[in-house]
Amino acid sequence: MREKKRYLLARIEPPLPDPDPKELYFAVLESVTSLFGDAAAARMMPVVITCGAGYAQIRCIRGYEEQVRIALAALASVGERRIALHPVATSGTLFALRRRIACLRPDCEEALLPLYFREKEYMARRYPGQKVDLLEKGIKSQELLFLTQEDLEEL
Amino acid sequence: MDTDACIHPYPAGNSSARRMALEAGDLGFGGIVIPGAEPGEYYGVRIIPAIIISETDIRKVTGQIRKRGNGGNLVLVDAGDNGFNRAILAQKGIHGVRRIYRTPRNAFDHVCARLAGENGIAVDIDLFPLLQEKGVIRQKVLSRYNDLMRLHSRYSFPLTISSNASSILDLRSPDEIRLLCTLFGMDKEDTSRALQTVGTLLSPAGPVTVVS
Repeated sequence: MREKKRYLLARIEPPLPDPDPKELYFAVLESVTSLFGDAAAARMMPVVITCGAGYAQIRCIRGYEEQVRIALAALASVGERRIALHPVATSGTLFALRRRIACLRPDCEEALLPLYFREKEYMARRYPGQKVDLLEKGIKSQELLFLTQEDLEEL
Repeated sequence: MDTDACIHPYPAGNSSARRMALEAGDLGFGGIVIPGAEPGEYYGVRIIPAIIISETDIRKVTGQIRKRGNGGNLVLVDAGDNGFNRAILAQKGIHGVRRIYRTPRNAFDHVCARLAGENGIAVDIDLFPLLQEKGVIRQKVLSRYNDLMRLHSRYSFPLTISSNASSILDLRSPDEIRLLCTLFGMDKEDTSRALQTVGTLLSPAGPVTVVS
């Protein structure tokens, strides 16, 4: 018998770069399993349908959406990368969820601009509404800082 | 006003206080508690300064309160063993006890719960280990919070909820916190009340006075 599904939309923080959908799927599954156990995870059947542009679409069996939302809120990293997933909406159809994304899509700048902060070189990504993310230039253990335009102007 | 009872911005963390406030505001918080900060407001989010006292001797705690505590600061003390906890819960000038999950199981018992309820001292629920830990450690934390909720239902002491976030990635919205707290048996009404406790700790309801 075909089971009814629920579709969840989660905002990814930081939105760029996009996490690998497969890695995100395993991270979500791991979070569900560690919180509720294997049996419950098998009943919930959480699946990452797609992720990109700062949002992830997740599917689960109807009736388990609250547990999946808890697991998403408890997720702190995908692979080595620290991440936060903030559940935004739940829908009965994928169509309604995609319509919702169209209104929510963030318009952050793809381009990274070089910038000096406290005598270190960073690449800055600016978002509308004051937010600026700084990624330290380098190959290994790059520092990631979350600041605002005002913080940069103060220096 | 929903308030996150403790966050640690740059340089302790990787996000500036302004950015933390901006993100907290976007998530639905009206205030955030920052140790050692100046009172004020960023992007419509109230900044509440706090003092964290991490001592194991009650005399040192008293000295710290005398030295650093004043009306505008939230005074939070790290919990210790049972005797220490009983002593600080009978102490004036303390607003909250934090890091209960790190103490031995009998450290916060029914006597501590009654003292906290009588003196209006809040017990902090730290969400950081729930997000960052897994397996046995997280199970122990959940078990401690379950015990805490049992005592709370009997002695009605105030609760606060803190993310102890050192990054914007550790912040969770009030809705997400309400969901996470169901993991240890805290219902959504209690969570909503706990998110609003910080405001009442700084300006406790006094006796009614006749003005005219």
